[in-house]
Amino acid sequence: MRFTVKLTIGLLALGLGSGDANAAEITMWARSTTEAYSTAMVKAYNETHPDKVVLNLIPNEQFVAKVGTAIAGGSPPDLMSIDLVYVPTFARGEELTDVTALAKALPYYEKLSPSHLRLSTFEGKLFAVPYSAEASFLMYDKALFRKAGLDPEVPPKTWAEVRADAEKITALGNGTYGYYFPGNTAGNNVFTFLPLIWAAGGDVISDDGSKATLNSPAVLGALDHLRAMWASKTIPPSARNDGAENIISTPASGKVGLWAGGAFTMTGLRRLSPNMEVGATFLPGEKAGQWSSFAGGDAIAIPRGSKQPKLAWDFIQWTYSPEVQIGILARNNALPVRTDLAKNEFTERNPVYLVATEAMAKGRTPYSFVYNDLLNSPQGPFLRMLQRAVFDGDVTGAVAEAQKRFQQIIDTGN
Amino acid sequence: MRHHGLTGWLFVAPALCLTSVFFLWPLAMVGWISAHNWPLIGRPRWIGWRNYLSILDDEIFLGAVRFTVTYAVLITPILFIVAFVLALLANTKRRGVGLFRTIWFLPTSIGISTASVLWVWMLNGDVGVFTTILNALGLALGPVQYLDSTGAATVAASTMVVWKTAGFTMVLLLVGLQGIPIELHEAARIDGASYWQDFRHVTLPLMRRSLRLALVLSVTGSLLVFEPFYIITRGGPQNGTISIVYWIYNSAFGSFRVGYAAALAIVLLAMVLAINLAQLVLLRDPDDA
Repeated sequence: MRFTVKLTIGLLALGLGSGDANAAEITMWARSTTEAYSTAMVKAYNETHPDKVVLNLIPNEQFVAKVGTAIAGGSPPDLMSIDLVYVPTFARGEELTDVTALAKALPYYEKLSPSHLRLSTFEGKLFAVPYSAEASFLMYDKALFRKAGLDPEVPPKTWAEVRADAEKITALGNGTYGYYFPGNTAGNNVFTFLPLIWAAGGDVISDDGSKATLNSPAVLGALDHLRAMWASKTIPPSARNDGAENIISTPASGKVGLWAGGAFTMTGLRRLSPNMEVGATFLPGEKAGQWSSFAGGDAIAIPRGSKQPKLAWDFIQWTYSPEVQIGILARNNALPVRTDLAKNEFTERNPVYLVATEAMAKGRTPYSFVYNDLLNSPQGPFLRMLQRAVFDGDVTGAVAEAQKRFQQIIDTGN
Repeated sequence: MRHHGLTGWLFVAPALCLTSVFFLWPLAMVGWISAHNWPLIGRPRWIGWRNYLSILDDEIFLGAVRFTVTYAVLITPILFIVAFVLALLANTKRRGVGLFRTIWFLPTSIGISTASVLWVWMLNGDVGVFTTILNALGLALGPVQYLDSTGAATVAASTMVVWKTAGFTMVLLLVGLQGIPIELHEAARIDGASYWQDFRHVTLPLMRRSLRLALVLSVTGSLLVFEPFYIITRGGPQNGTISIVYWIYNSAFGSFRVGYAAALAIVLLAMVLAINLAQLVLLRDPDDA
């Protein structure tokens, strides 16, 4: 009797299961930074498709560890969005599905973000495609520019001009500072400081990531530039311990003139300081005409062992529609990854986004299998170099040490 | 006789099973992993002793060992003095002593990570409560940076740890204090012993076991410290406050070198084991033998 009951329940469960069979469900993992647009995308997709995507947001710093463990344990998600800079590591570890043929069949393949495609390529094959984009640029407080007698429509175009403007703004007194950067975070400075080096014609690693290239005038010059502003007290003292907790609240306070950031900070700035007039320009190099940007964001990939690769690709393709690129990404202060949709109603309405979009198109991203150890890690040589040079003033010593550590890490990791 | 042996085994079996499944087996796995180049992402490859050899070149790890040992040596006596004073105060029958004990024990009931996050904000130089208090007392003007040197950051994180764990050590010591029969104190007083003589010659010797337990727990806990330096100081400034466990975590989940992290964990296990053995031998109770 009891057996019959169990059997009936079992059959019922099976019956219910098969009723849903043609509407499949796929799991997608994404890091928490992408929350605003990932949630919106998945909601829109689920409302318009019979198949359902279940989104699992993971805190940024735990993302790689969680995914690595899940893949090793044989239970990866069907689809995942990864910080662009980690794609080479995942691809080399043979953890991702080759999507070369699928991607090249897309009519707008040539228009996809070039930095994303470069980072997603390993041994000639494509293992991920662009998902969301984020570029760094120089931001400034127009009201403070006016107060300091500077023209808010003429932002600085060289390091020397940045310093000169910053000093004039600092001279306003009353706790006002000309320049701000968070001094105790690696990731944020990679995003905002590396472009200064690139703009001046230098780099920290070679294009293929096999050589450390810090011994260059561009690296020394960029560090000298930041050091000079710290030494002349044009940067608030709180910058030294700032682990990026205050990247929005400090500019929003209306007490700093210039800082580097990305479009993603605009939501927070608007919320904290609705009337602030934010200006935007490119991150300059030493000479006029030089500029660069860090092209960051996420790439989307199908992990090895995904149970629904076909559905996963359907979702990816859908994200490239204008409704998603403009209606969701651009609306949520992320940049479209299709360059042919880069100019849209949002960029027209807000010049800050226009700068972000143009910066993205020319932006760069370091390609390395040991990206985290070199650049992103709070214990890594990049942050140490920056802190030693800027706060301790030992620019040449800091660069020499970093050059040595970079090469050591590259040699053990490759 | 045989029967008794079997019964004995049956009694230890549950504990033995649990230890095997949750300690010995994972430990063997860690040993196995430590002999591989085991990336978090990608396939493992056997490399024998090479992970152990690279530890010798790992300056950050050697720095972490120095830092952690220094931290343990500094925080243990401070923690003991604070906890001992609290235990002596709590071991009276005055009014409100229950409330006193509860207040000091409360931090123990919060998770260490939660407590660390709480202190991150209390230690915030601009809006933290310490800055507000210092300014109100006229001891500081404007923002105060609590974490801008290795020394200051260590003091800040250690203060949190003392606040968080003194209550627990207090309870351990309180049990020892209350286990001393009151007649012994009375006898000592009748013989003319002062408070300090009573403390030195009656209380302390009879608390040997509680002290030993508290010491072993405290030293082990200090050597395995992670959260305060991961959350409050993030190992900074300039890698000055990286503890051993922090570096193990970082090797596995920051550098994705799981095999290397496993090797570091084995080295740490050997260290803690050796230090605990030394403590137990040094503090051996002659009556136990």
